[in-house]
Amino acid sequence: MIRRVALFLGSLLVVAAIWELYKLIGPAAGGTVFGARLLPRAQDSAMPHVWDMVSRFGDPERRGSDRANWRVVLAAAWFSFRLALAGFAIGTLLGMGLAMVMARFKVVERGLLPYLVMSQTVPLIALAPLVATWGGKVQVGEWVWPRWMSAAVLGAFLAFFPVAVGALRGFASAPSASVELMRSYAATWRATFLKLSFPASVPYLVPALKLAATSSVIGVVVAEISTALRGGIGRLIVEYAQQSTGDPTKLFTAIFGAAALGLLMAGLVSCFEYVMMRNRPRPEEDERALDTIRREALT
Amino acid sequence: MTRRRLLTSLGPPIVFGLAFLGLWEAVVRGFDLKPYFLSAPSKIVEAIGDNVDNVWDATVVSGTNALVGLVIGTLLGVAVSFALMRFRVLDDLVTPLAVALNAIPIFVLVTVFNNMFAITSEVPRRLMVTIVVYFIVLVNVAKGLRQVQPTHLELLRSYAASPTAVLSKARIPNAVPYLFTALRIAAPAAVITAFVAEYFGGSQNGLGYGITSNSAGSKNAVAWAYVVGACTLGLVFFLIAVSLESYINTRRGLGPGGGTT
Amino acid sequence: MSEHRAVVVDGVSKVFNRGTPRQVEALVDIDLTVGGGEFVSLIGPSGCGKSTLLRLVANLIEPSTGEVLVAGKDAPRARLDQEYGMAFQQAGLFDWRSVARNVELPLELKGWDGSRRRRRALEMLQLVKLTDFADHKPWQLSGGMQQRVAIARALAAHPRLLLMDEPFGALDEMTREHMQAELLRICAETETSVVFVTHSIPEAVYLSDRVVVMSPRPGRITEIIDVDLGPSRTVETREDASYFKKITEVREALRAGEDDRETEAVVAEERSSR
Repeated sequence: MIRRVALFLGSLLVVAAIWELYKLIGPAAGGTVFGARLLPRAQDSAMPHVWDMVSRFGDPERRGSDRANWRVVLAAAWFSFRLALAGFAIGTLLGMGLAMVMARFKVVERGLLPYLVMSQTVPLIALAPLVATWGGKVQVGEWVWPRWMSAAVLGAFLAFFPVAVGALRGFASAPSASVELMRSYAATWRATFLKLSFPASVPYLVPALKLAATSSVIGVVVAEISTALRGGIGRLIVEYAQQSTGDPTKLFTAIFGAAALGLLMAGLVSCFEYVMMRNRPRPEEDERALDTIRREALT
Repeated sequence: MTRRRLLTSLGPPIVFGLAFLGLWEAVVRGFDLKPYFLSAPSKIVEAIGDNVDNVWDATVVSGTNALVGLVIGTLLGVAVSFALMRFRVLDDLVTPLAVALNAIPIFVLVTVFNNMFAITSEVPRRLMVTIVVYFIVLVNVAKGLRQVQPTHLELLRSYAASPTAVLSKARIPNAVPYLFTALRIAAPAAVITAFVAEYFGGSQNGLGYGITSNSAGSKNAVAWAYVVGACTLGLVFFLIAVSLESYINTRRGLGPGGGTT
Repeated sequence: MSEHRAVVVDGVSKVFNRGTPRQVEALVDIDLTVGGGEFVSLIGPSGCGKSTLLRLVANLIEPSTGEVLVAGKDAPRARLDQEYGMAFQQAGLFDWRSVARNVELPLELKGWDGSRRRRRALEMLQLVKLTDFADHKPWQLSGGMQQRVAIARALAAHPRLLLMDEPFGALDEMTREHMQAELLRICAETETSVVFVTHSIPEAVYLSDRVVVMSPRPGRITEIIDVDLGPSRTVETREDASYFKKITEVREALRAGEDDRETEAVVAEERSSR
């Protein structure tokens, strides 16, 4: 465990080293390879030094402001995190609910499964700007659709599909010998589901949840950009990108914030995985389940 | 396939699909929903008809970016995977990085790339797609090269086969299905990355821009037309990857699913 | 039986993970000779080290002490010179190659040219009676047929020694008996020596000239039993009184080996509690 963390940090150092190395030898104004402008600009305004990026966190957010940069980034990341979490939770619940319905009624499964599978190949995230426009304009009686809800909805939407696919596969993964055993006990569908199908689905659920967590974060970030949602990390990134001619390192602080957000969500799911899989035989099942999910699901 | 089988397997999806579209249309008309909320399917079809040329142009732009990134990312990924197979240390360094990158919204790096290259260049988007595809292919192919059946390795050792022979006779053939698994994921991912990257500025000529610029106000249905274009592109890329896999598998004499059917 | 000694194992022992808490003494003090054209079985309870011993002969692992000679050379040299062919419990055929191309594999590695390889592969497939399946894929064949291909592959380069690690373990009883008869026929035709690992007593007796009985871990040779049922074994052999007597003899030797181990353990415990 320690080793993995150490190696991860090591790989980050290697990336940083490559970055700095390019800065050292790369053309300041960018260059051409085979006639195409393929070499990036190595000057500080385009590629700041790594240590400058890190130190930027400590400086004030903007000239004249008394809030340090890291506070702003942290607040934005926290804002987006809550949205991503909400989206993830809703998407997961709905996904599992649908999977249960599909497991119970074969007709529903046959009818919807092709669309579920297709959803994994189709860029659902294309709908982000469309959902984003609901903010502030949709009204149900007195209540106006809050802008942040678009982000949560999109996150939920993207999380829903991998969970539905994963849960369904998981329910189906119970060994047929066990299913026959339950039949020999004249167990009801409900009892079989609770005692067999659901526990058997966990190794498939876990990788699906990881995928859903990532998808939720992506959905929220993209929705924030489309809505220019104030307070979110997505908008912060776009803002800082626009300000980067004057303040090149600020952009990176926001990016690190977004990365931290993603890692936090992934970390949560890993904790959940640890708790659920403690008493289970591990790696091969995990790998096989992960491969099945991967084959059908993607960001 | 018998008619009955065909009916039971195709029937429900078609019924559900039509019912869904019908419901959509009815809800929009019945509640008189404003276009900026949801457009009716009929309006969308109309919009597609009116804007075919624009949507097509945008699709070509995004599609080219996705394709360039897919091809280069795959080639690089395959090339480096050999290094990962050979040097365990590299594998230990790269894998946690790949896992972490999987978890974060990596496409935000496009903003950095936009600064590193000219604002009108397509390179930032292509670079982004390349990176995303690269890691997917790298991790999967490296796994395929490494995880050969122990019996095969023992057999080749009993033949005193050189490492190169083991590579060409066992590892590479073993890794081919892994490459296709990677492509099945990477192809749609390339499309998604290509047009999400467009949300971050840069030249305004792709599907992403088409969707965002039309989504507000009365041109909502046009935005949907671009969405349909994007979905079609993603589906096409995926189908190409799958057919390529199927073709190679039949040539190798394996079932289209790859392996022992 | 010629004077040629196919395998000589001299004072061999094998310890895994020496010096760590996971240290395992797999084999102790093994002395064994296999003559030219001889069929020798290694039999013993699970974990007795018979597969380890086979792998030592194959130079897939190195002994901790002692010496292994194959065809008069030391084991690494013998492996590099391809003095033996090997068959494992899983047939281990390459899915992506046809049956014939699978048999050609060792010949490819030896650098033979295409037509010569193809001829030899078909020759071997004829030996195992699978010529009709030369261009099929492994997954189109049954388990028994796949093992036959594995045997054809093991013999493709005409080695004088065949090493087999429970190759029929995954097959049903009837296929197994059939394969045993086929194996004897093939080995008689090619005059190959065989070292055969199994944990089926009837299989060991039916196939072998000598049966090497091993004790539980750490594996020692309890006894080497001569099987004098005559050079050609047939279906009738399986119903012969002397066949059953040999089986009983092997079974008793196995039991004796286990009892020895138990006695040792009991004695050791009494000694330590005094």
